[in-house]
Amino acid sequence: MTSREIILSRVKTALSAAHRVPMPALPALPQLEGDASARIEATLAAIESVSGKTRRVTRPADLRNALADLIGAEKIGKAMLWDNADLRELRVAETLAELGVAILAPDADKRELAQCDLGVTGADAVLPQTGSIALRALPGQSELVSLLPRVHLALFRPAALRADLRDLLAQLQRDAHAVLITGPSRTADIEKTLAIGVHGPKVFYAWSYEG
Amino acid sequence: MTHPLARIDFRYNTQHVPPKVRAAIQKNTRTAIVKRGEAVAQLGVATWEQLRQAAHDLKLHTLTHLDAYLPQLEANVIAAGGVVHWANDADEARRIVLALARAHNVTRITKVKSMLSEEIELNEALGDAGIRALETDLGEYIVQLDHSRPSHPTNPTLHYTKEDIAEIFRRELGVDAPPDPFVLTEIARQKLRAEFLAAEMGISGGNFLIAETGTLALITNEGNGRMCTTLPPVHVAIVGIEKVIPDWNSLAVALSLLARSTTGQQLSAYTSFITGTRAGGPREFHLILLDNGRTQILRDPAARETLLCIRCGACANICPVFQNIGGHAYGWAYSGPIGALVTPQLIGTLRAGDLPFASSLCGACADICPVKIPIPQILVHLRQRVVAGDAFAAPVAPPAMQAGARAGAFGLSQPWLYELGSQMLKFAQMPFARGAWLPSLPPPANRWTLTRPFPKFDATFRDWFRARTPQGRAQKQTRALGAAVLALGAGALLFALARKLWRRK
Repeated sequence: MTSREIILSRVKTALSAAHRVPMPALPALPQLEGDASARIEATLAAIESVSGKTRRVTRPADLRNALADLIGAEKIGKAMLWDNADLRELRVAETLAELGVAILAPDADKRELAQCDLGVTGADAVLPQTGSIALRALPGQSELVSLLPRVHLALFRPAALRADLRDLLAQLQRDAHAVLITGPSRTADIEKTLAIGVHGPKVFYAWSYEG
Repeated sequence: MTHPLARIDFRYNTQHVPPKVRAAIQKNTRTAIVKRGEAVAQLGVATWEQLRQAAHDLKLHTLTHLDAYLPQLEANVIAAGGVVHWANDADEARRIVLALARAHNVTRITKVKSMLSEEIELNEALGDAGIRALETDLGEYIVQLDHSRPSHPTNPTLHYTKEDIAEIFRRELGVDAPPDPFVLTEIARQKLRAEFLAAEMGISGGNFLIAETGTLALITNEGNGRMCTTLPPVHVAIVGIEKVIPDWNSLAVALSLLARSTTGQQLSAYTSFITGTRAGGPREFHLILLDNGRTQILRDPAARETLLCIRCGACANICPVFQNIGGHAYGWAYSGPIGALVTPQLIGTLRAGDLPFASSLCGACADICPVKIPIPQILVHLRQRVVAGDAFAAPVAPPAMQAGARAGAFGLSQPWLYELGSQMLKFAQMPFARGAWLPSLPPPANRWTLTRPFPKFDATFRDWFRARTPQGRAQKQTRALGAAVLALGAGALLFALARKLWRRK
């Protein structure tokens, strides 16, 4: 018998006389009240509460200013970004290049990518209650962009906001490769003191983009 | 850690906790409890209680349908391009990992914190084979540098102060570090970044396995979980068979409970979802499903709920015993109240028979457990296994203790005997009593009085009860009547006996 057969037969034996508990009805998860604008504000507040930095961008010119501010504040020299329709439409790569930032392709050698200062992603889904953003691992959406650089910027549209965690996970379930990000990398392993920036990004920006 | 075959001497271990360690544990557990309380309050206690019940029920549902969910999970992992291995025991799991490492000429492995890896002592096995397995969770990294063991399910460095950690970095890494958590964290970041990029294999555990899609959910705060499962060309996940949940709806419930219970966060910084292989990720994904005694626990209806555990560590944080001794006293990979449940069931009562007694049965652990494991009830069940034996194990307690327990059980089940005993104690204690206290008692009772006095036996509760409650008064009347009948009967018997004896003369 293979180990598979042994383990499965042990499971069957163990359960032969067991009361088979039915699947319970699962309770509703907390939802967020308010109109679209209030929901964006709540999302940004939740992101701030987990040490994220937020900004509400409404016009293309604002986006350029915001990027210029970020580059100045974080001393960005090299960046990499997702190659998807949303970021192309927002002309993020072009704007960064115009602002003097060198752009690396996400399929470059990982040691080179690890030297990146900034990674820019979109967000496939956002959970307002916890300020979490979900990034799916689709073509053009390399996970390294949100992982290796010192600074991570996620741009999300209000349409990405989900009602609750169940809603958000239902979307991720479709391709089943994703990461749910809540604030920058952190640890409290030393005397339960919160230290930001262990292995992942040290600084996490999340901007809503309307218009 | 105790030698693999040595008995865990819990009492001895508790007596050898340095005061400094005790202070660090008390401070850190208290912080964790406060943060958890705030997170629960923010969600709302009513919602929290609904979620706990739902998590308990859905996990128990999964466990009692594992024969369906395990094959479903396996099929979905394979369909997504992953490889599924089954390991009966720790040895088989280690051999599978070693074979995979050798097949890929692996010399450097980066690891995500995993209790199961401690359970099967994987790092030692890899080290013996000349493969360097590096822990990358900051806490685990520190513990590994110090050649020590984690002292808490989710917070392996609970027993260190920042000064201790600075000293470990100085000694093991040769860096002059101040006792500043931020500087120490930055040093670890630099050291480990190079390791992530160089590793040829990443090894993780897993928080949940979603049967519906064959997805591994892996949670970290530092991002090391993402590094280890994204950068190396091969990812091996070793997960206990009890970690399966049916679907993503169930995951929403479980995720709502886990981070809040562990660190007081609403969600941990990173939750990764991994389903087989993907473009841009590791070329190979291997899932090792481990039994190592779990099916044995599943067999026992009175202990089955042990397997509900989602390894949040809240029971350890709230436990008054743990708060005073830390995790090392439990002598194995799992510590705190859940360790007292898991360890004797996985390695046997012969080695870990002390642990079910490592509790005051105060019940704080059951109250805080996010999946409502009835920890005190299972502890009592295991105590019974240790002393009297059951269908799963022969008794291991010394014969005197077994006899004492049997006598105690008999005494407590006979009200008249109990009362007789308690009344007799009033007299028996006289030579030892000093005022209202018994300052010192002869062995074996001196194990108590060596550290604190024992209050005098008054044995007045029954009198008090009889005088104050209707039931008590009724009982008193019945007893008086009974006593009268008994006395008459005894008198008549004595009279008859006396007459008989008299005639024989």
